[in-house]
Amino acid sequence: MVHKNVSGPILCLENVWKIYQMGEVEVPALRGISLKIKKGDFIAIVGASGSGKSTMMNLVGCLDTPSKGNVFLKSRNIADLCESDLATLRGKTIGFIFQQYNLLPNMTAYENVVLPLELQEVDDDVAEKQAKKVLKLVGLEDKIHHRPSQLSGGQQQRVAIARCLVGNPEIILADEPTGALDSVTGKGVLNMLEKIWKEEGKTVIMVTHDLHLAEYAHNIIELKDGKILRMEKNHKKVH
Amino acid sequence: MKTSKCLKYALNMVMHSKLRSWLTILGIVIGVGSVIAIMSLGEGLQQSMDAQMSSLGGDILTITPGFSRGITFGHKSSGGTGSSGSTATEEEVVLDRIDVQALKSIPDIKLIDTNIRGNVRIYYLGKSGSVTLTGVDQKVWSEITTTEIRDGRMLGPADMNVIVIGGKLADSYFDKPLGINKMVNIEDKAFRIVGVLDDSSTSIIMPLQIAYTILDNKENGVYDSIVVKIKNEEDLDYVIEKVENKLMMTRHVTENNRDFSVSSSKQFQEMRSEMLGSMTLFLTAIAAVSLIVGAVGIANTMFTSVLEKTKEIGIMKAIGARNKDILIIFLLNAGLIGLVGGMIGVLLGVMLSGFMPMLMGSMPMTKGGAVTLVSMDAVVLALSVAVIIGVISGVVPAYNGSKLKPVDALRYE
Repeated sequence: MVHKNVSGPILCLENVWKIYQMGEVEVPALRGISLKIKKGDFIAIVGASGSGKSTMMNLVGCLDTPSKGNVFLKSRNIADLCESDLATLRGKTIGFIFQQYNLLPNMTAYENVVLPLELQEVDDDVAEKQAKKVLKLVGLEDKIHHRPSQLSGGQQQRVAIARCLVGNPEIILADEPTGALDSVTGKGVLNMLEKIWKEEGKTVIMVTHDLHLAEYAHNIIELKDGKILRMEKNHKKVH
Repeated sequence: MKTSKCLKYALNMVMHSKLRSWLTILGIVIGVGSVIAIMSLGEGLQQSMDAQMSSLGGDILTITPGFSRGITFGHKSSGGTGSSGSTATEEEVVLDRIDVQALKSIPDIKLIDTNIRGNVRIYYLGKSGSVTLTGVDQKVWSEITTTEIRDGRMLGPADMNVIVIGGKLADSYFDKPLGINKMVNIEDKAFRIVGVLDDSSTSIIMPLQIAYTILDNKENGVYDSIVVKIKNEEDLDYVIEKVENKLMMTRHVTENNRDFSVSSSKQFQEMRSEMLGSMTLFLTAIAAVSLIVGAVGIANTMFTSVLEKTKEIGIMKAIGARNKDILIIFLLNAGLIGLVGGMIGVLLGVMLSGFMPMLMGSMPMTKGGAVTLVSMDAVVLALSVAVIIGVISGVVPAYNGSKLKPVDALRYE
């Protein structure tokens, strides 16, 4: 049951700044963040609106590049990677779960889930088997031919989780994963996330404004005005 | 991502495209449809003309006295020295036995037919009318003429007071139809009809020597035209040149004061076919303009589509799509719009070309209704042009889409 954090950092932020240019004014969203995330961590990044957590999520997810400082994903500086290599690395290493599910509306649940594998040019047979396996894992094996519009919010988020897991990524990045769900469904999703973390040994990074959700994590990082306000272990989870 | 998978996603995008995309497709449909229809009409006319050409005899040359140069008519310019103000007239420039002898010495010529022509009055059952009489060398005429016999027979070598008449003269010129073995009077002589031609003319064909006795103003041994059949159709141009040189020598004329013309039905047909070709090209060019408008439509739709799918591009990039994948998907999407438009356009074009003969039936140049022919070449050409136009129109929007930063694209609502 107890998860062991034994390996080195899978993701590392070194004095990361992100500055947005708003006309003539420079607005810093992150100011000199340094952070090491080890393989197998379950981290919650919390903070009020405007604290910079979405910016941090984009940088951690390699969706954006820092204005200053370095982001290392699996010891590789993302600034040194070309767009196409970064996309490939991102696709293989990070699985995203978004607040608004972000499923492709014209595709069925199965097509949405198999898409990351198709992007990685995985053989059709292997991809199909894997996609069906993860859809079964999230309990949607009977809904594989439904389009997102034919699924409930919770079901859509479970499709998104399946899509996130299908490529067997080392990191799961969840941005307000329960933000659009009712509390019961939200709890179900979080329990599922925790179960995956425990059983599959993934690194989970969750961005949320809800401190109750952060209770699921083992490390909590609180941001305020683009800086890390506190970084502490969740004593309820870590003994 | 494999290209086959990109194609699958592009197809998915087209299938789920909104009305706007279908309107774009309609633009291509109209363009391709009209190009196909016009090309099929041109092709059809060309084919029927080719068929006519072969029936007209590509191996026949007609030599007539007189030569026209540009806007100069008659033979005024061919008078050479222009002495004593005399102007050459039709009567003075003639073809005669010397010319025939000269032609006989050309080995490429198979047969020579000499003709005279004139208007005569024909009487039948108390009615009369004026028709054209042609006197032919009955020994060779049957082998040279390209007109078929409908009833009876051609003129034979031993025939004297017999004639062959045109189809219209036989059927409807007089109140009662003329037929084989009917007797008619031409000027003051009686003739028996031995054959009816399979055409719609009112002409009369009779042996040359008899024709001289009927046509008062014709001098024996002087011809209105000489028709020759050459041995080998492929040598036509070469034989024309040979005939011209030979006749210029015997008639003591040069290129500058030539007083005879050599023409072939093939030349005439080629000219007509060339004119038809340019007309088809012109009409196709007009139709192609609508294709260009269609292309602008595709570009517009693709720009909007990239905007609309910005978020989807962001999602795909987040889960591992490379710039190249996005570029290929959108290019294929644009190409598919072109292809779908092209295919529906071909169907429309084929239908239009089916209706075309009805619409153009009354045109004089298309006897008995226009024929259209949708050639495989036209279909392949139109389809490839539609796809290429689609892809080209999609290049800039697809490139823009592929260059979107994932974080910006994901934020787009």
